[in-house]
Amino acid sequence: MPVFGCREAKRTHGTGFRQESSHACISAKLKGAVLAMNDFLELIVGATASGCVYALVALSYLLITRPTGIINFAVGEWGMLGAFGGYLALSRAGLPYAVSMVLVLAGMFAIGWATERLTVRPLVERGAPPLAPILALLGMLVVFREVISVTIGPDPQPVPPAFGFGRLELGLLAGSYQSFFIITVTAVVFAAVWYFFERTLAGKSFEAVAIDRRAAALMGINLRRVTAMAFAASASVAGLAGLLVAPNASAHYLMGIPLAIQGFTALVIGGVGRVEGALLGGMILAFVEQFTVRYAPIPPGLAQGVPLVLLILFLLIRPTGLLRARETR
Amino acid sequence: MKSLAGFIVSALVLSAIAFMLGSYQTDVYRKMLLWVTLALSYNFLFGIAGQVAFSHFTFYGIGAYAIVILIFQVGLPLPLAILVGIAICVLLALVVAIPATRLAGFYLALATLAFAQLFIVVLDEGGSVTGSAGGLANYRLPDFFGTKVSGPSYTVVIVMLMLATLAILWRLDRSWFGRACRAVRDDPEAAQAMGINVARTKIVAYTVTSALAGVAGMAYAFVDNTVNPPIFGLENSFMLLFMVIVGGSGRHAGAIVGAALLYVMPLVLSPIIGHHHALVFGVFMVAVVLFQPKGLIGIWDWFKLQLERRSQV
Repeated sequence: MPVFGCREAKRTHGTGFRQESSHACISAKLKGAVLAMNDFLELIVGATASGCVYALVALSYLLITRPTGIINFAVGEWGMLGAFGGYLALSRAGLPYAVSMVLVLAGMFAIGWATERLTVRPLVERGAPPLAPILALLGMLVVFREVISVTIGPDPQPVPPAFGFGRLELGLLAGSYQSFFIITVTAVVFAAVWYFFERTLAGKSFEAVAIDRRAAALMGINLRRVTAMAFAASASVAGLAGLLVAPNASAHYLMGIPLAIQGFTALVIGGVGRVEGALLGGMILAFVEQFTVRYAPIPPGLAQGVPLVLLILFLLIRPTGLLRARETR
Repeated sequence: MKSLAGFIVSALVLSAIAFMLGSYQTDVYRKMLLWVTLALSYNFLFGIAGQVAFSHFTFYGIGAYAIVILIFQVGLPLPLAILVGIAICVLLALVVAIPATRLAGFYLALATLAFAQLFIVVLDEGGSVTGSAGGLANYRLPDFFGTKVSGPSYTVVIVMLMLATLAILWRLDRSWFGRACRAVRDDPEAAQAMGINVARTKIVAYTVTSALAGVAGMAYAFVDNTVNPPIFGLENSFMLLFMVIVGGSGRHAGAIVGAALLYVMPLVLSPIIGHHHALVFGVFMVAVVLFQPKGLIGIWDWFKLQLERRSQV
C-alpha cells in the first residue's frame, strides 16, 4: 500500500519538484505505515476478544472433560442458550446488563446441572460404555437447538452489548467497548477458575478426580457432586461466552455448532489438561484466523480452512496440545 | 445358500417396488436406499470397527463430485470414471486414515470432522471445477454401454448397489477381518497381543467403508442431477451416527432399520407437526441412548427371546 501512495505523490508533483516529491513520498509512506499500524493494533484487540470467546468455550469443554472424560459437543448449544437468555433478559424484558448477566449465569448453571442429572448420571450409574453419555449429549444438542427454534423462532434476534456500540481508545490500542468488555470478563473468569483449582479444597478435589477417579472416590470425594458441578459450571461458562459474542452476530438457533467446533479446536491446540491451555489455544486460533483473513494472499473462503488445517496438524503432531497435564505427584 | 436366496428375493422385491412408484415416491425411495447403503457401511466403520469418524458423508460427497467432474469436465467414459472415482476415494481415504487412525477415540472424530469441513471449504472455493457455492447441475447420466438407464431402472441400479454393499459387508463381517475389527474395537492391546496388526486393520476398515460410501455418492449424483456443498454438510454426518445408534450399532439389520426410520420420520411428521419434528427427533435420540442402548434391533432381540422361551415352556 505505501508503495502505491508514493507513486501517486510523484505523479502529482511532476519532475520539477524532485526534492519535494521525495519528501511527500516519505510522508506518504509514513502515513501508510501508521495506518497499517493502527489497523494492526485494532486487529489485535479484535482477535484477542474473539480468542477470549473461543477460550471460554474451550474452558467449558475442559471443565467437563477433565474430571469425567466426557466430550460434550452440546457446549456450543449452551452458548446459544446463553445468547438467547441475553436476548430475553436484555431485549425483551429490558433488564440492566448486570442483572441479565447474573440471570443468564444462574439459568445456565441450572440447565447444566439438569442435563447431567437427566442424561449423564443414569448412564454412568448403569455402567454404560464411555461413548453413551457423549451420544446422549449429542441428542441433547438437537433438543436444545430445536427447543429454541420452536419457541423463539428461527430468525436471528438482537442482543445488545454491555456498554453500547462505542469505540474505546487506550493509548495505541483501539477497539469496540464490547471487545474490551469480553477481554476483561474472560480475564476475570480465568483468574477465578485458576484460583479455584489451585487454591481451594473443592478445586483440588476436581483435580484429584481428573487424575484418578477411583482413588479420589476412595479418598471420600463425592464423584456425583463433582460431576454435577462440572456440568453446571461448564454450562455457565458456555452461556457466558454466548452472551458475550451475541452482539457481534445476534443470537441465532444455529450458532451453536460453529461455536462448539471453534472451542474444540482451541482446546486441542492448547491441551486438554490445563486451564491455561484453553486460554492459549483460544488466542492462537483467533490470531491465526484473523491474521490469515487479513494478511494472507489467499481468498477469504480458503482462509476459513486455515484453522481446520491447524487443528489437523495439532491432532497429528501433538495431540496432547501445547500444555501438558500436570503429572501425578 | 439360504442367504443367497434371501439376497435374490430381496433384490426382486425391492426392484419390483421401484416399478410401482410415482415420481415423488421414487425420489424418496431412492434416497432412502442410499441412506441405508451409507448407514450399512458406516455401521461397519463405527459399530464393528469402533471408529467414531465424521468423514463418512464426506466420502459420499467426494464420490458424487468425482464422478460428475470426471465425466463432464475431464471427459472420461462412464465405466472408466467409476473406476477412477473409486481410486480417488481409496486414495483420499488412505491419506486420511494412515495418520488419523493412530488417534484414539474422540480425537479421530475431531480430525475427521475437520476433514469434513475442509471438504466444504474446498467445494466453496473450487471455482469452475466444483462450481463453488452453487455446485454443479444440468447434467444427465450418460449411456452405459449404449443403454440409457433412467426412471425405475436407475432405481434398480441403486437397489443392486445397496444389496452389493450389504453382501460385501456381510462377507467381511463374517471373515477373519471382521473378527479382527471387533477385537480391535473392544481391546486394541489384547488384539495386538493376539497377533492382529491393529493399525492395518483400522486403516483397511476405514478405507473400504469410505470407498463404499464414495460409490453410493456416485449413484446419488444422478438422483438429483445436482451436487452442491450444502448437501454434504456436517449435519448429515451426525445423522448417520444417529441412524446407526437408533437402529443398533454393530448390526446390519439395525443400520437398515435406523436409516429407513430416521429418513422417513421427518417426511411423515413434518406435514403433521411442522418443524417440531426436529425436536421429536432429538428427544427420540436421547430416549434411545438412555432406555434402549442396543437400539431398536434390541427390542426385536428381546421379542424373539420371549417367543423362544414361551415355546420351550
